[in-house]
Amino acid sequence: MSTLQTYIKTQRESRPILLMTHVIYGYPTIKDSLEIMETLLREGTDILEVQFPFSDPVADGPTITNACHVALENAPTLRQCLADINALATRYPDSKVVLMSYLNPMLQFGFEALADTAAPAISGLIIPDLPIEQASFVEPLKAADIAPIWLTIPQMDSARLAQTLSAASGMLYCVSRSGVTGGATAFDAVTDNLDTLKQQTSVPLGVGFGISKPEHITALIGHADIAIVGSALLNAYNEAGLTQLVTRFKSLQTATR
Amino acid sequence: MSDEGRFGQYGGSFIPEILFNSQQDLLSAYREAMADPEFKAEMLAQMQQYSGRPTPLTPCPNLSQQLGGAQIYLKREDLNHSGAHKMNNVIGQGLLAKRMGKKRVIAETGAGQHGVASALVSARLGLECTVYMGAHDIERQYPNVFWMKQLGATVVPVTTGAATLKDALDEAMRDWSSSFNDTHYLIGTSCGCAPYPEMVAGFQSIIGEEVLSQAPEVLGRQPDKIYACVGGGSNACGIFLPYKGTTTELVGVEAGGIGDGVGEHAMRFNTDQARFGIAQGYATEFLQDEQGQLLPTQSISAGLDYVGVSPILADMVKRNELRMTAARDEAVLDAFKRLATTEGIIAALESSHAVAAAIAEAPKLSRDEKLVVNLSGRGDKDLFNIASALKDAPFNDFLADYLAREKQA
Ligand SMILES: Cc1ncc(COP(=O)(O)O)c(C=O)c1O
Repeated sequence: MSTLQTYIKTQRESRPILLMTHVIYGYPTIKDSLEIMETLLREGTDILEVQFPFSDPVADGPTITNACHVALENAPTLRQCLADINALATRYPDSKVVLMSYLNPMLQFGFEALADTAAPAISGLIIPDLPIEQASFVEPLKAADIAPIWLTIPQMDSARLAQTLSAASGMLYCVSRSGVTGGATAFDAVTDNLDTLKQQTSVPLGVGFGISKPEHITALIGHADIAIVGSALLNAYNEAGLTQLVTRFKSLQTATR
Repeated sequence: MSDEGRFGQYGGSFIPEILFNSQQDLLSAYREAMADPEFKAEMLAQMQQYSGRPTPLTPCPNLSQQLGGAQIYLKREDLNHSGAHKMNNVIGQGLLAKRMGKKRVIAETGAGQHGVASALVSARLGLECTVYMGAHDIERQYPNVFWMKQLGATVVPVTTGAATLKDALDEAMRDWSSSFNDTHYLIGTSCGCAPYPEMVAGFQSIIGEEVLSQAPEVLGRQPDKIYACVGGGSNACGIFLPYKGTTTELVGVEAGGIGDGVGEHAMRFNTDQARFGIAQGYATEFLQDEQGQLLPTQSISAGLDYVGVSPILADMVKRNELRMTAARDEAVLDAFKRLATTEGIIAALESSHAVAAAIAEAPKLSRDEKLVVNLSGRGDKDLFNIASALKDAPFNDFLADYLAREKQA
């Protein structure tokens, strides 16, 4: 079992649900983004999801897209990003860090190089524009114990779902609804889907897209293993900086205790 | 094309999972439609009765004489309804959207040509139409925005990133991610995930098929070379593909912009700023930096101002079936003026790139050689840009007077 999956299973023995929080490397500056990451780790986020920005993030909504474009003005490099995460992760061994980006920046860096550089600080990788039939791209990551985190959607064709589940390790990213990140989701409607999924796999289920309130997380307890929060924390940060982000984080965190 | 929509190492489908089902539906609907003689007949009828096909092949005796080399002929896609080849594609996809039972189409547009074509066909077919357009392009191309609105389309300004074509494409994909149940994404060029490159190139291939049948009468034989400008690559695919495997040399012309520096042009070939990449749903040669971030582009013609290129053309270049060259803004303006004054044809700035390459090469060729240039569109839409580039002072006076009158009224 991958390190990520073992970690989630162990944490879940004493917790109803875990919290995964998203930060964009380089937004609003590289230094600030590292401070946000460190703050979330210090506050006890279970999994930190670091997005390496890409110029054309087609699965992301306006909040994250705009932040990615701001981040790119700071000319982030993946090599430095991985080095920075490495330095940070060793100081917070009780949490896990996963990387999220789009295919092209990973492809240009090279998946072999990524396997060499990203482990052991990074234990999972999310690439929303990498389809399951192209799984061979991420093959080199396995040896480095970096779990490719595949996405499932509500109306997934059964053969394709089976293919995804058999490739899954670490965790699954269950997209709660159609559309892009940010925006509202009706969470009562997604639980049936999650329950069906849970019967078919032992891989932990993470749910993302549209989680902004503690009630959303409460609604997922018993149906999912990880609540994934992205735009909501970013919006809090944009409204009133780090203190507001911490306040929002803490209110979400109470729902997971 | 392979089953996964691959053209050699290019093409394929790299889209968020949420779009997978709609992409598969589109793929099968397209295959079914193309196997249905009635669909093809309807498409041809619309192309003839609505868009005015076939378009003529026009000899350019004065221009050829002046250049003193090869004989130049133009394939007149500018005479399509809407003034560009874009019409061929929107007729095909519009009819397909109807066949699939969709109520709405979304489109991305740079210059606004594809946006106008989409709005026209949507009005005719009774489809709702939303066009995504970079805020920066809206500033440069307001007249097209005006027409889209008159046709009942909704134009959505895209302010993210560079606020140009690639960002409009991203935004259209985001819309499609939540609207696929009733919406068809009507891509304007032969790029994007499968089956778009193949489908758009297929709908545009009527251009080359017509040239194949017109050439014996007009040229006396098939041409030695064919030139087409290459933005996303749809007019080029359209005229080139029916000539694949023949002795006719195929020449693509990219936007050379104002120089070879980063952000000064839109050349995806013959530059070390472009290399294999995967973005916007497909694999091709992308202009990108070391980190794999897509680079800004520049061109006097908004329609060629794009970072990626059709995977079909990228593969043809790899196989030496297609030669790519470029024309700089300055040469493009010269070509525009020359064609206007020698032959009385006002070409689009995009198409003027192809004309510029033919003008550059024709004098080196013998008088027996025959070149066909795909005149992808007419230049009326470029009125403001050309007037500005030619520094026509009376045009500014006219606008100042117009504004003064409008403010009084
Ligand atoms: C007249 C004209 N020609 C060419 C193009 C470039 O597109 P493509 O390379 O897909 O033919 C455009 C795009 O807007 C156009 O309007």
